[in-house]
Amino acid sequence: MSELNAYLNPDGKAAPRNHNLILSLNSFCNTAAESIHRSVTPTVLITHPHGRNEIGINKERLLKSLIGNALNPNVFSVLVVGYENKSTSAFVNELRAKTKKPVESVLVLDNGTLGATREGAEIASRMSQINSEYSREKFSISDFIIGLKCGGSDATSGIVSNPAVGKTVDRIMNMKGTAIFSETTEIIGAEHILAKRAANNKVALDILEAAKRNEEMAMSLGVDLIGTNPVPDNIRGGISTIEEKSIAAIMKSGSGKINGVLDYAAMPPDRGLYFMDSPSAATEVVTAITAGGASIILFTTGSGNPVGSPIAPVIKITGNPYAAKKMREHIDVDISEVITEGKSLQVGSDKVYRILEKTISGRLTKSEILHHNEFAPIPVGL
Amino acid sequence: MNGEELKRSKIVLLSAGDNVAVALVPIQKGDILENSGKNIEARDDIDFGHKIALRDIKKDDNVIKYGEIIGVAKENIMAGSHVHVHNVKSLRADKHE
Repeated sequence: MSELNAYLNPDGKAAPRNHNLILSLNSFCNTAAESIHRSVTPTVLITHPHGRNEIGINKERLLKSLIGNALNPNVFSVLVVGYENKSTSAFVNELRAKTKKPVESVLVLDNGTLGATREGAEIASRMSQINSEYSREKFSISDFIIGLKCGGSDATSGIVSNPAVGKTVDRIMNMKGTAIFSETTEIIGAEHILAKRAANNKVALDILEAAKRNEEMAMSLGVDLIGTNPVPDNIRGGISTIEEKSIAAIMKSGSGKINGVLDYAAMPPDRGLYFMDSPSAATEVVTAITAGGASIILFTTGSGNPVGSPIAPVIKITGNPYAAKKMREHIDVDISEVITEGKSLQVGSDKVYRILEKTISGRLTKSEILHHNEFAPIPVGL
Repeated sequence: MNGEELKRSKIVLLSAGDNVAVALVPIQKGDILENSGKNIEARDDIDFGHKIALRDIKKDDNVIKYGEIIGVAKENIMAGSHVHVHNVKSLRADKHE
């Protein structure tokens, strides 16, 4: 096993990246935040179309998502771009109470977008220089929270990429590591398998309840899941029903004990494997699990999926030999030799683990290289 | 299933007892495929990754893949047929049409 070299962040957590984050609090602060991001390197950017007049669960989920992502181990400093003082100060104070990272803010009201950009760029420049003085140190795999996601699934997801990643996750759990998987709609039809792996009765019930809630939500909307989940590219790839997709999807979580069900964007209370109750679309899930502290994502795909994150490297793994060629600019780990050359799943899993180690230690993912920085703090949905 | 089997076969059975297998290459109608020592003739063209019925599946019978129920047959499906959204439906979030 090779060494893992990562950063120790201001909160004492291991981090594969040390980002200087520019975070917009609402839609019309995005322009100033983008301008600061373009002016100052290296910075990462969170923008989104929400933030004003949000109420109830929408407001709660948006804040959890933004706070959680700012607290992610990969973030070493935060510049909040807000509109007016009251809501911006409240956000900054909540964040400062939870972290030792530098957290600063600029306001668009009374300064204008250009004024906020100028002031923000100066603050961000200072932070970039401070962050550049960190150097990598040795860590073990159990120091990181690994996020798990599948997207653009097809028949190969259940035969190659998900079971191979499942073996990798089993290996990480044997080393006392931590991982989060999610996608509540994509446990419908497979929840009985997960419930059997629950650490106790409460966890089993929480898993079954989450699936039931999502199924009832679909039915109350009067929608047919087919065409929504599975999506058209899943169907093109040979997946006929949500049950078939789910049974394959949960394979990426391996075979180990499930310690608990996390609320949307919540952090795992302990080590081990956790399921997060969340909507299922790729960007939404990645946003939710990075809010829960995942600092690196293993992302399996059948047909290929370009999604990335501003916060965490997203490692794309495919077992589909066609996607490995057609979508090669997005694929980090091609394990299609399990099908084309008859290699074992263990060979595929070992390859995933090697790239995981390298990526934690600084190897860039295709999503990072291609500026795939999607972010979707979705309120509620399937 | 092991790697050598995957390499050799045009279709793969994911769990003993499944009534469908998965195409590992594009299959053409009339192709003769081997499964567990028995030959089966493809009745349809079947794309890479898509399912083929290994035996006759009656309307309303369960479709089994990975050793799990993935849905039910919407119509009688003959061995060798393409099994997909046109002849299988989910049992979940069912609107009871």
